[in-house]
Amino acid sequence: MSLNPERVTQALRAVFDPELGMSIVDLGLIYGMEINAGRVSITMTLTAQGCPLHASIAEWVRRAIREIPGVEDVQVAVTFDPPWTPDRIVRGPSR
Amino acid sequence: MSLSARPRPGAGLSPLVPLGYLVCAAGAFLVASLGAAWLGPELAGHYYHPRLLALTHTVTLGWVTLAIMGASYQLIPIVLERPIWSERLARWQLAILAVAVTGMVAHFHLGTWPGLTAAAGLLAVGITLHLGNVGMSLRGFTQWTFTARLVVLAYGALALTTLFGLALAVNRVWPILPGEFFPTLHAHVQLALLGWVAPMILAVAARVYPMFFLAPAPRRWHSFLQLWGLAAGVPAVVLGLLGVPGLLVAGALAVAAAVGAHGAWICEMAWWRRRPSLDWGLRFVLTATAFLPPAAVLGVALAADRLSGPRVAIAYTIVTLGWVSLTIAGMMLKIVPFLVWYHAYSPRAGREPVPTLAELSWPRAEALAYGLLTGGIVLLAATVLVGESIWIRAAGVVLALGALALAAALSRVLTHLWTSRGATADRGRAAARRLA
Repeated sequence: MSLNPERVTQALRAVFDPELGMSIVDLGLIYGMEINAGRVSITMTLTAQGCPLHASIAEWVRRAIREIPGVEDVQVAVTFDPPWTPDRIVRGPSR
Repeated sequence: MSLSARPRPGAGLSPLVPLGYLVCAAGAFLVASLGAAWLGPELAGHYYHPRLLALTHTVTLGWVTLAIMGASYQLIPIVLERPIWSERLARWQLAILAVAVTGMVAHFHLGTWPGLTAAAGLLAVGITLHLGNVGMSLRGFTQWTFTARLVVLAYGALALTTLFGLALAVNRVWPILPGEFFPTLHAHVQLALLGWVAPMILAVAARVYPMFFLAPAPRRWHSFLQLWGLAAGVPAVVLGLLGVPGLLVAGALAVAAAVGAHGAWICEMAWWRRRPSLDWGLRFVLTATAFLPPAAVLGVALAADRLSGPRVAIAYTIVTLGWVSLTIAGMMLKIVPFLVWYHAYSPRAGREPVPTLAELSWPRAEALAYGLLTGGIVLLAATVLVGESIWIRAAGVVLALGALALAAALSRVLTHLWTSRGATADRGRAAARRLA
């Protein structure tokens, strides 16, 4: 499968918030995605500022995307503007 | 903002620090619940009894205060976005507090006042260290949100509670307090319950519950009433008790308004939550809120002299501590698995399959703890009002069984600190054998 937004989104569905048991995609934490040749840039948020999983979740995102064939570099930026709200959830807990 | 450039709040604090506090607190809760079963005859009488004072301080200092302090070392970086200033100080403080609380409870139980005064002095040192650590953590803090204001209010009340408590202890050896003894004692109790514990719970709830329930934060009027109800109500209650009686009822009504706003928000949040299934920790938290209306009614009735008597005062304290205890138990069932997971599994997440937080818990034990603790607190308050020591003792046994179930549920989570390490070591040894 070629590198495209659907493929990246599919990989991100494997990254779970351990407390909520929901993927970061379903939680609406992914704000943006840019794919430029083999370089993937993700803009995402967290459910709360100061979340102790701040660095961990971003690292899991990097790992998940690096698994996709054709990916050479992954950049993850976390923003709290706009802050996350439960309205961003796109579906209920999936496990 | 780039992740690498952004400071990670609390990154330097080991999860074992708050865990140490929470484990000590759970131990104190178990001891206190056994004490409630043992002290049935004393609970049927007047509250100013050395053994009941020992029981009360096991709950308020050993269980409630240690749990709040431990949780605050975990939650301040999250809710106030400030890293904890000194981990070493937090560790020393726990050791000092553990010795001081044990000393206080023992000396209350034995009725040896010079020893009690010494232990109270040591406790004051431990609490001062905590206030210092938090104060240094909040240096230069400028975001005076609802939560931040309530936290500051709570720490101010903690300092005053400690001062009052120390004065009461010293007064047993060298009479120093002007005026009557009981009003000062009552002021100490209300400062602790309404000034220290209640604002801390309301503050943390406003930031943490929406995260857990996937629900809206308090609305403007909820926040306004909660903050100003306590900020105006607690000083009025304390001054009312100490010599301005006209303020007592007004203060109690203001506190009741704060409690009402909190309850209204919890109901709204539970209604609008996006999290469909609730774990036992969240059920504890919601059920705890049901204790607030009777606590508020009893509190206002006592303030207005519509109800009186030592047993009513004990029942009010039990119902209020019931709200606090179920809330703390629920939050522990959320925080302890997270800290254990973070310590044991977070470094391996993404590289290999790791359990979710739900998989660390023991739902059967949590359900048992929920039923027994909720039922035990209701029974204890009701039987104290009736005043039959045999029934009080039976209620205490139900409570103790609930505390035992809670301790078992938490212990099972804690075993992951060792078993996960063992699993990693096994994998390491297997890899080494393959290489050899």
